[in-house]
Amino acid sequence: MNENMRVKIEFLGTQRTLAGADSIETPITGKTTVNDALKYVIDKYPQLKLDKDTALVVVNQQLASRDQILKENDIISFVPFISGG
Amino acid sequence: MEILKQIRYKPARVAGGYTDRILRVDLGRREINIEKLPTDFKDKYTGGRGYALKAIWDGTTRQTRYDSPENILVMASGPLGNEPGFPGTGKFIVGTISPMTDTFIDSNVGGHFGPLLKLAGFDALAVTGISEKEAVILIDGDARTITIAEAPQYDKETDDGALAFGDRLLKEVNNGQYSDCLAAVSAGRGALHSRYGVIHSLFYDRRRHRIRAKQAGRGGTGTVMRAKGLKSIVVRSSLSKANGNHPVDKKGVRAAGRALKQVINKADPTQLHLSAWGTTVLSEYMDKFHIFPVDNYQYGQSPDSAKLFAHVFLDNYFSKRIPDGCYYGCNLACAKGAENVELTRGPAAGRKVSVDGPEYETVGAVCCMGIFDPQFVMEYNWYCDQYGIDVISTGVTIAFFMECFERGYLSIEDIGYELKFGSIAAAGRCLHQIAGGRGFGRVAGQGVARGKKWVARKYAARHKASPDEVMAELDKFGMEVKGLEFSMYISKESLAQQGGYGFSLKGPQHDEAWLIFIDQVYQELPTLEEKAAALRWFPLIRTWFNATGLCKLHWIDVRNPEAAATDEPSKNLPTLAHYVDYLNATTGSHKSLQDILDDSERLYILQKLINLRQGKGTRESDQIPLRAMAPAFFNEYQSRAEYYDLWLGQNGGVRKLPASPKQRHKLLIERRKRDYQQLCDAVYEKKGFTPEGVPGREIVARFGLLDEKARRLLDETGA
Repeated sequence: MNENMRVKIEFLGTQRTLAGADSIETPITGKTTVNDALKYVIDKYPQLKLDKDTALVVVNQQLASRDQILKENDIISFVPFISGG
Repeated sequence: MEILKQIRYKPARVAGGYTDRILRVDLGRREINIEKLPTDFKDKYTGGRGYALKAIWDGTTRQTRYDSPENILVMASGPLGNEPGFPGTGKFIVGTISPMTDTFIDSNVGGHFGPLLKLAGFDALAVTGISEKEAVILIDGDARTITIAEAPQYDKETDDGALAFGDRLLKEVNNGQYSDCLAAVSAGRGALHSRYGVIHSLFYDRRRHRIRAKQAGRGGTGTVMRAKGLKSIVVRSSLSKANGNHPVDKKGVRAAGRALKQVINKADPTQLHLSAWGTTVLSEYMDKFHIFPVDNYQYGQSPDSAKLFAHVFLDNYFSKRIPDGCYYGCNLACAKGAENVELTRGPAAGRKVSVDGPEYETVGAVCCMGIFDPQFVMEYNWYCDQYGIDVISTGVTIAFFMECFERGYLSIEDIGYELKFGSIAAAGRCLHQIAGGRGFGRVAGQGVARGKKWVARKYAARHKASPDEVMAELDKFGMEVKGLEFSMYISKESLAQQGGYGFSLKGPQHDEAWLIFIDQVYQELPTLEEKAAALRWFPLIRTWFNATGLCKLHWIDVRNPEAAATDEPSKNLPTLAHYVDYLNATTGSHKSLQDILDDSERLYILQKLINLRQGKGTRESDQIPLRAMAPAFFNEYQSRAEYYDLWLGQNGGVRKLPASPKQRHKLLIERRKRDYQQLCDAVYEKKGFTPEGVPGREIVARFGLLDEKARRLLDETGA
C-alpha cells in the first residue's frame, strides 16, 4: 500500500468563497472512509456549515455512501440539494 | 393618448385570495366586459393556470393559431399571489395558444403585475381580438376606469424597446413619477419579428430607484401580444398589499409565512445560497455533472466554463449591497441585477445600462452557442430584454444553426456569414437580425422546429438528397419538442429528465419536472417504476405553483432539514406542509396535499385535452431528439467514451462490449432509444393514459371534464 496516498477535496459554488480555496488535498490510509473525510472538512471548515447527517457527498461524480473506503486520487465534493427552477 | 374605449367600474374586493371576476377585453371590437364567475368556478379551475386553461378550452378551436383573433391572451395570478407575509407571492402566469407549439403555453413570471391586477379587482385578464391601431390597455383601480388607448409614440428607440416603452409609459400615466402602485407588461419589436417574443413584467424597485423586468419568457407570449396589436398593459392600485388577499385566517397565513421564511433563512445560506448568488450559482454544478449545454448540448462541460461561474458575476457585475427580489416579502430574493454596465457591441455600444440578470438560463444559452465571455452574457441579456425575445429560444436556435453550419448543412451563402460556435461577432449579428427581422434573422426568428424544415429544403435541393433523410439527421440535434426549444440542461444521462422534457405538456421547459439531480446525482430513482412515479407526482405539484400565483424555488431549491427524516426527501414534504397551511388559511379550505394534487391533476388533464385537440397530445409528440437521450454523433461519444462504455456494461445489460468504438456508440444509441420507449410505456400507465399517451375516459370523467367536446376528441383518438 502506498503510504503517501492522497485525495482531493473540491469546494464548489459558495463553498469556495467560504473555504477560501478551490480545493485541498489530504492524506488517507487504506481505511479512510467518506465519513472520515466529511468529519475532517466539518472540523477544518466550520464556516461551510455542512450537516454531518444530511450532507450529500460525491466521490468522482458519484453519490457515495458514508462507509465507502476512499482510494488514492479520489475527488470528493459536497453537493447541495438542487431541483431546478 | 387617444382613448379608443373606456368604461368605469367598481373594483371587486379580494376575499380569500379571489375576486371572482375576469376582465375581458376584445381589442378588435373595442369591447370591455367584466365577467362575474360563479363562486364554484375556482373550486374546479384553480387560480392562474386553471383560469387560462378553461378560457382556452372554451374559447378557441383546433384551427386557432397564435395570430387568430379568437386566440386569448390570459394573465392571471391565483389565490396565493400577493401576500408579503409569505415568500414568493408575486407570480402570475401568461397563457395562450403559442406561435411555437400551436397549442397551449403558460409561462410564469414574477413582479407586481399579478398582485396589482387582483387588487384592481380581477383574478384574470383575458384579451382577444386584433386592434386596428397599436394599442395599450390601462386598468386603473384607483380611478375606477378601464381604457383601451392608442399606443403613444415617443421616439424610435423608445417605441421599439420592450423595456424602454413600458418604462416610459409607466411614468407617463403617473405624472412623470415611478410608483410601486403601478406595474406593466410590455412586448418589443423582437416579438413582431420572431415567434419567441417575451412579455416583460415591469415593476418599480424602490431600492434601485428604477423599473425592473422579469419575463414570461417561454413559448412566444410576447409574439401573441404584438399580433394583437397590443404593446403594453398598465395596472394601478393604491390598496395596501399587506393583507391584500383578505385571507380567511390572517393569523394562519402569518404563521405559515413565518415558518417558511425561517426555513429559508436557516437553510439557503448553507445550500445554494440563492439569496446571495442568484441562479447563476447553478452553472458550476451543471458543469461539474456534465449538464451544462455546451455547443448545442453536445458536451456537458468545457474547460472554459469557469469563466461563467457565479463568482464572476458576483465579483464584476451584480450590485452586492442591494437586497433583491421580485416581490415584497421574499427572503430568497434571487432576482439579481447590475447597474451601469457599458455595452461594448451592437447598435447600443457605448451606452451604460441596467441589466436584470443574468439568470442561469441566460448563462446556459450563451454557453450553448459555445461562448464563454461574461461581458457578452450581460450584453446578450440586455439586448434580448430590450428587443423582447426569449434568451433560451434565441440561444438554442442560434446554436442549432451554428451546428448546421459546422456540419455542412448550411453555407455562408445561406446565412451571409460564418455562424460558428464561439463566435461572439456572429452570434451578436444573428441576434440583432432576429430582432429586426432582417437577413438570416427572418429564418432564425422562426425557431428550431421551423428552422429544421428550412435547412432540410435548402440542403436537399443543393445536394439532390431526400428531404426526409436530411430531416432525420437534423432531428438528431435540433433541440426542440412540440415546437419549443429545450431549456438549458443536458438530459442525456438522466432517463427521468428525458421524460421530464418529453412529456412536458408545453414542450421541454423544466417547470413540470426537473429530475436530473434526483435521478443522476442523488440516485433516488433507480428503477423505471420510481422514475415513472416521479414523472407523475412532480408535474402535478410543480404546476400547482403556477396555478396559485407562487414561486416554487423556496420549495425545490432549499431543502428543509426536516426532509432528511422523511421517506422521500426529494419531495421536501415538510416545506410543502407550509404551503398547504397557507392555502387553507387564505381560502378557508381544509385541503390536504393529496387534494391539492387532485386539483392540479384536473388542470393537467385539461391541458392534455387541449394538446390532443391541437395535434400535440399523443405519444408521437412526446418523442425527444436523439441528443436529448444519447450522444447523437461520434464526437460526443468520444468525449466520454470511458464513461459510456462503463454505462453499457452497468446499465445497458451488455456483457461483452463490441470491439470498435463506432459499434459501441451504435449500441449505446440502441439501448438509450429502447429505454426511452420503456419509460413512455411506464409513465403512460402510471398516469392512466393509453399506450398512445391519451388519457383514458375514466380519468377524464373523474375530474368532471368529460364534456361533449372531450367525448368527441377521445372518440377520434380511439381512447
